[in-house]
Amino acid sequence: MPGSQVLLDRVSRSHGGTQILREVSLQVAPGELVALTGPSGSGKTTLLQLIGSLDRPTTGSIYVDDIPVHSLRRPASFRRDVVGFVFQLHHLLPALTVQENVELTLVAAHVSRRERHARAQELLDEVGLRQRSHALPSDLSGGERQRVAIARALAGRPRLILADEPTGSLDSAASERIWKLLLSVRERHGTTILVASHDPNLREHSDRGLSIIDGQLSEPSLTPTADADRNRHNQEIA
Amino acid sequence: MTTVLQTLAALRRRPLRTFLTALGTALGIATIVALLAVAGGAQRTAGKFLNLGSSDLGVFQRDAADPTTSVLPVSLVAQLRATPGIASATPIILIVGGIKHQPAAFVFGAQQHSFVTNRYVFTAGHMFGGSHQAVVGSGLAADMHLRTGDALTVAHHRFHITGIYHMGVAQQDDGAVIPLTDAQKITGKIGEATTLAVSLNSITSRTQGVRIITRRFPGLLVIGDGVSAARAGVNGQMLAHLSLVLAVIALVIGGIGVMNTMLMAVVERRAEFALMSAVGWSGPQIATRVMIEGITTAVLGAALGLLIGILGAHLLVRLLGAQEYVAPAITAWVLGRALLVGVLLGVLGGLYPAWRAARVSPAQVLAQR
Repeated sequence: MPGSQVLLDRVSRSHGGTQILREVSLQVAPGELVALTGPSGSGKTTLLQLIGSLDRPTTGSIYVDDIPVHSLRRPASFRRDVVGFVFQLHHLLPALTVQENVELTLVAAHVSRRERHARAQELLDEVGLRQRSHALPSDLSGGERQRVAIARALAGRPRLILADEPTGSLDSAASERIWKLLLSVRERHGTTILVASHDPNLREHSDRGLSIIDGQLSEPSLTPTADADRNRHNQEIA
Repeated sequence: MTTVLQTLAALRRRPLRTFLTALGTALGIATIVALLAVAGGAQRTAGKFLNLGSSDLGVFQRDAADPTTSVLPVSLVAQLRATPGIASATPIILIVGGIKHQPAAFVFGAQQHSFVTNRYVFTAGHMFGGSHQAVVGSGLAADMHLRTGDALTVAHHRFHITGIYHMGVAQQDDGAVIPLTDAQKITGKIGEATTLAVSLNSITSRTQGVRIITRRFPGLLVIGDGVSAARAGVNGQMLAHLSLVLAVIALVIGGIGVMNTMLMAVVERRAEFALMSAVGWSGPQIATRVMIEGITTAVLGAALGLLIGILGAHLLVRLLGAQEYVAPAITAWVLGRALLVGVLLGVLGGLYPAWRAARVSPAQVLAQR
């Protein structure tokens, strides 16, 4: 399944008199891996939440595959069927096993037990944690938990992954593994990925880098390597 | 089904919180079970007390604080006997707390030759034949190791035991009967009685008998069944109302307890519900999960509450020194009602927390973390 196309048109978000995002416009091509960088409080998380329908813009419009995200009546089904979230803190449910956490989206989608099990096993295999299926999150390391969170984000076969500081609480080795995993997901599934991060490694892994400061988006010049990758990727999609 | 199984698994993996939540329900249910059982036992006892000597009706003074404080003139007996539908009537004095070391035992003052005393079945000896003689029930005789020929002291008056009877009715078999005149002297009720036992003729039903006597003697309280016997008198009515009030209070406390605990659990787990919402669970799906948790813990609590309630009912009557004449009635109906209340508590107590859980904003909660 190809990745999603994301379109934002003059999106603003204010809260309690504070302008968090100012007229952000953005276009992301299907299968693109976009890095979103910026200081804390610049609006990265808010931007991802708006695209993922966790929040609504004050003004402006957001379309994901022509779905008007800014005015969704049932955002839960959009989040279940189109988007996969990866958060800085893995947010695994502590009382559920690794397998059950990965199946969480599929339970909401009423997928049969057999299929849920098979899909979760396949994804845990992909993130290298199949042997920990029955462990509880408290028994895992930080890196392992984040890999489970990625498997969970992929369980619903999303066309768009929104990752908010996915390596923010990990050491460099674990971070590198997460980046490789996200790249592998993009390669294998063609999923569109938007990543917000402080991690300097992000820029070298991404097709395109965006910078957000004080709620305003800018697109700095790309590194030659990233530019070449981007062109190659866009050609593949075309 | 999956939601149910995952919810049960989640409850099992948080045993302490599940237990504490269930305990909150259990205490409410236990109170209800104990009250219902004791009230049911008291009613059953009252019903048996009514059948003293196999009488059909008991006549008491209306507005007496309770049946034991009723005072009626013995002269009413003749008027009752002359009333259509009534085969016989006889005066009875009731003495409570008259026997030392057996404070719960009833002592009845009755005429030697009456339809009540004529129906006593003796396992040893015979009915008393004169003043300062007594017959004792088999239960009291066993408890006090009494035999015919021994002495029984009632309110500092010694009685010679002429017989041991067995009626198969706990509070009669655990008591004693003395001559009416002796009982009147002891209680200072010369020419008076506590109650008049009435036997109806074969063509008059209890309902008809109650109606006939009430119409003819408006100042009398006529008791024809166990329920009205339990409610007889001001104290009895107060007890009945108090039981109801306590049951309602227990219900409200139990409901608030479940709601509070569930609400705390929801507040504590906002991040979980926010995450569920973020990965595609709809509000109704999250609410259903919370409701299942609430009902499951409430049912667990109800089961625990049944056990505590049954033990508590027995402990309560023992503490009140009432075990001689009130045996808690643990019936399927009492247990069924308690379980039903448990499920209702789970549903009612879980509604608001479920609504709160369904409205958790994933953006706000996840961003805070």
